[in-house]
Amino acid sequence: MIDLKHIYKWVNQGANKVFLLQDINLHIAPGEFISIMGPSGSGKSTLLHVLGMLDTADDGEYLFMEQSVRQLKEKQRSQLYKDHIGFVFQAYHLIDELTVYENLETPLLYQNCKAPERKAIVSDMLDRFNMVAKKDLFPAQLSGGQQQLVGVARALITKPKLLLADEPTGNLNSRQGEEIMDLFLKLNQEEGVTIVQVTHSEKNAAYGSRIIELLDGRIQLKH
Amino acid sequence: MFKNYLKIAFRQLLRNKTFSVINILGLAIGMSAFMLLALWVHNELSYDRYHSKKERIYELWNKSIWSGKLECWNVTPVVAAPTLRQHFPEIEAVTHVDWPNERFLSVGDKKLSARGNMVDPEFLSMFDFPLISGNINTVFKDPHSILLTPELAEKIFGHEDPVGKVIRIDNEYGVTVTGLINTPPNNTRFQFEYLMPWSLHEELNGQDNNWGNNSTHTYVLLKEHASIDNLQVKVKDLRRNYARDSDPYDMFLYPMERWRLYSSFKDGVESGGKIELVTLFGIVAGFILLIACINFMNLSTARSEKRAKEVGIRKTVGAMRSSLVKQFLGETTLLAFISFVLAIIIVQISMPAYNELCMKRLFVPYSSPVFWVLCIAFILLTGLLAGFYPAFYLSSFNPVGVLKGTFRKVGALVTPRKVLVVLQFVFAIVLITSTIIVRQQIRYVSERQVGYNKDRLVYHFLSKDLDKNYHALRQEIIAADLATSVTKTSSPLTEGWSDSWGFVWEGKDPNDKTDFDRFCADEHIVKTAGLQLLSGRDFDLQQFPTDSDAIIINESAAKAMGFKDPVGKIVKDGDVPLHVIGVIRDFILNSPYHPTKPIIIEGARGWFNVVNIRLNPQVSNLAPLEAIFKKYNPEFPCNLYYVDEQYARKFDDMNRMATLATLFASLTIFISCLGLFGLSAYMAENRIKEIGVRRVLGASVMNITSMLSVGFLRLVFIAFIVAAPLAWWLTGSWLKDFPYHIALRWWFFALAGILATLIALFTVSFQALKAARSNPVKSLRTE
Repeated sequence: MIDLKHIYKWVNQGANKVFLLQDINLHIAPGEFISIMGPSGSGKSTLLHVLGMLDTADDGEYLFMEQSVRQLKEKQRSQLYKDHIGFVFQAYHLIDELTVYENLETPLLYQNCKAPERKAIVSDMLDRFNMVAKKDLFPAQLSGGQQQLVGVARALITKPKLLLADEPTGNLNSRQGEEIMDLFLKLNQEEGVTIVQVTHSEKNAAYGSRIIELLDGRIQLKH
Repeated sequence: MFKNYLKIAFRQLLRNKTFSVINILGLAIGMSAFMLLALWVHNELSYDRYHSKKERIYELWNKSIWSGKLECWNVTPVVAAPTLRQHFPEIEAVTHVDWPNERFLSVGDKKLSARGNMVDPEFLSMFDFPLISGNINTVFKDPHSILLTPELAEKIFGHEDPVGKVIRIDNEYGVTVTGLINTPPNNTRFQFEYLMPWSLHEELNGQDNNWGNNSTHTYVLLKEHASIDNLQVKVKDLRRNYARDSDPYDMFLYPMERWRLYSSFKDGVESGGKIELVTLFGIVAGFILLIACINFMNLSTARSEKRAKEVGIRKTVGAMRSSLVKQFLGETTLLAFISFVLAIIIVQISMPAYNELCMKRLFVPYSSPVFWVLCIAFILLTGLLAGFYPAFYLSSFNPVGVLKGTFRKVGALVTPRKVLVVLQFVFAIVLITSTIIVRQQIRYVSERQVGYNKDRLVYHFLSKDLDKNYHALRQEIIAADLATSVTKTSSPLTEGWSDSWGFVWEGKDPNDKTDFDRFCADEHIVKTAGLQLLSGRDFDLQQFPTDSDAIIINESAAKAMGFKDPVGKIVKDGDVPLHVIGVIRDFILNSPYHPTKPIIIEGARGWFNVVNIRLNPQVSNLAPLEAIFKKYNPEFPCNLYYVDEQYARKFDDMNRMATLATLFASLTIFISCLGLFGLSAYMAENRIKEIGVRRVLGASVMNITSMLSVGFLRLVFIAFIVAAPLAWWLTGSWLKDFPYHIALRWWFFALAGILATLIALFTVSFQALKAARSNPVKSLRTE
């Protein structure tokens, strides 16, 4: 599904190049559940953003479903991204002015989904996540765990093949974290969603089928 | 999608109530001020522009040297019209239009006064004043006919058909209603309630073939395809070729499109005129709108920064840049639309007061498609301007950066905003200064010595009956102890109706064309008016019957004639020798803004229109006086005027201007403060972390408040530096139009600067204080 070949990313600090990613080679097959670990500043999030096309590499080749991402135009890249990738954030990043229902609906709006279809999909998702009773509440009215559930539901609503999660449990207590991780596992095993998560926690990393450890922008270890 | 945006927009509005109210209200006030001014400007620009033959209509003017200056004026001899009609084949039609006259109309017991004109029948076909009933070719066939506007007809006849009915005019002659004519719209110089034929004027006053008697207006309709240039050449010599008994002035035809805005002449060419005021109003309108839009933009963008997160999220869930652009533009357009609706309501509510203020009959042209197109274009433009920054700037950001909170490009936007704040305050300070100076000028001029005692002095115009019974009237008023002195004059003391450069005296330079105001009074004028006699004595026909041929002159006149001891000198008015019996101190006859002119007051041989009454100090009630007038003048209502009130009316225009200046200055300041408020809120928010750190390090609330305020005060100071010379120049050139004016003083400008600073300080410190008092623990945790 994903092939990274000799990916580099750097920022210029005065005359020096500071490398965020160095020579990353990574193959991800469909249906994998990968955990990326490493200390702060090791490049975990950067790698995730490159994978999610929110950021571009400065050098190297990125193949997503056999297409070279670097050669795509902004519009095509955005299309690819809209169709296949869902994102979950540590800070949930829900739109504060919208209700749970409307937050879930937003990605569909950008996919030009017709209103009745949208309604069906959102209702389905609310059902699946047991949030029907909360659909008219605003994010501020929910607990952290519940907000992250909405965040995951929103990421899944476009039926992506790849789910990218940046420390999804970082702001949650352990019980809430476990619930989210169980949900990821279920999605991976029952629905075959490919998942890449960044995490600090060994325990959460163990949910994955493979762990990649980063240090100073290089892959140290693959399990 | 649209619904989603709309929902977001409304929830944003509700969430930030103060902000929304300020933003919408600011724009709405700006818009309504703009609309009011634009309506005024449009009214001025549209004056007499609706006549279908406007390109071919001209007014006859004179051009000649008067008192050493080349002057132009539009009062022409009566005989000019028939001469033009008879001798100029290029001319299709000519009409006289006399001064609009207040006449007294009566039908049975119904009596009322109304204003109207006497015109030739051609008037009806030259100008677009359509008849509602009556045949255009026959309505003026009989000299004793009258056309009424529907309003006047209803006032007199109620719902009866007025056509064929007879109305008595001034209790002297009868006229028959031959038709109804549309009421003139508010944007024409011709404002009448009725029209009567010129043939009636001739029947009443006789044929006037005297080219020297300038007494009416003459309008000309050129034939289609005729050359105006050729005609102008011929008209220039009209007086030279046809006048036997007049000075040979030039004459010229003045095109209709120039009448309203440009008809102010200096040295024989157009100079200034109403167009200056119209341009000024246009500029003020544009600036107020600009300031309101700038604020709207500032406030919208300041708030949009807070929405960077939303942009980031939308991008990560798949929003294209174009859809974000649409969303933001849609939102600001919606705000602009709400403001517009509010503005229309404000305009509608303030319209009556505004109309009274500018003495017009303005209205919002709801039925005009052009108006709506302009409004929609305006809403879209404002929405676009205000939404431009968030739409294109925010949507261009990398979502990762925005979501991580590393997005901070504050400095980049602060500079242009600072420039905008300076611009606003420049405008505000100029307006404040202008207001101060206009008010100072009014005070200065109204405190000027009038030269006579205008308190307890009343006057009444002489009707035929009053003139006939004048002596009895005067006797009775004095006998009843109502007045200490009564005098007939040619015009009210507040108006000069006649002037002449034809006086001759011993030792006069033949080239001297000094113009004298000519005033007539029968006797006791010094006593009645309370003039100050410098030498000689008052008119007194009882003791000196020859006072009928005497004159009293003012100081300026004595100086102009070069008399050291004027009393006893002979001055000729035409062929009539008049002897000077007294010299008075100068008094203000016409404009209080101009130096006093030489005045010659002629005695009882003159002509009289007004009776002046110096009230006895014990008189507290005018009713007995009115009763006496009623007795001698039974057909007309008694209209007594107080001289002091009439004098005060000379300041009406100025006061109106002062009110307008104050109004728009306050609006500008208000809108500018909204902008400052928004900007300071934005700055405080962006520096919340810095403020937190400073607080933790031991800064006091006072330290931080002043730190935040000083930056803004610097902006106001810069604005003052720019505004002061600008205001100096503007007000200086305005004051130049008034020969009698105040000197510009530094404190006018300093006061405006201090006022602007205080207002700014008040606005800014509110936000600064709020930011400084916020809990540092809270603000530091947000990062």
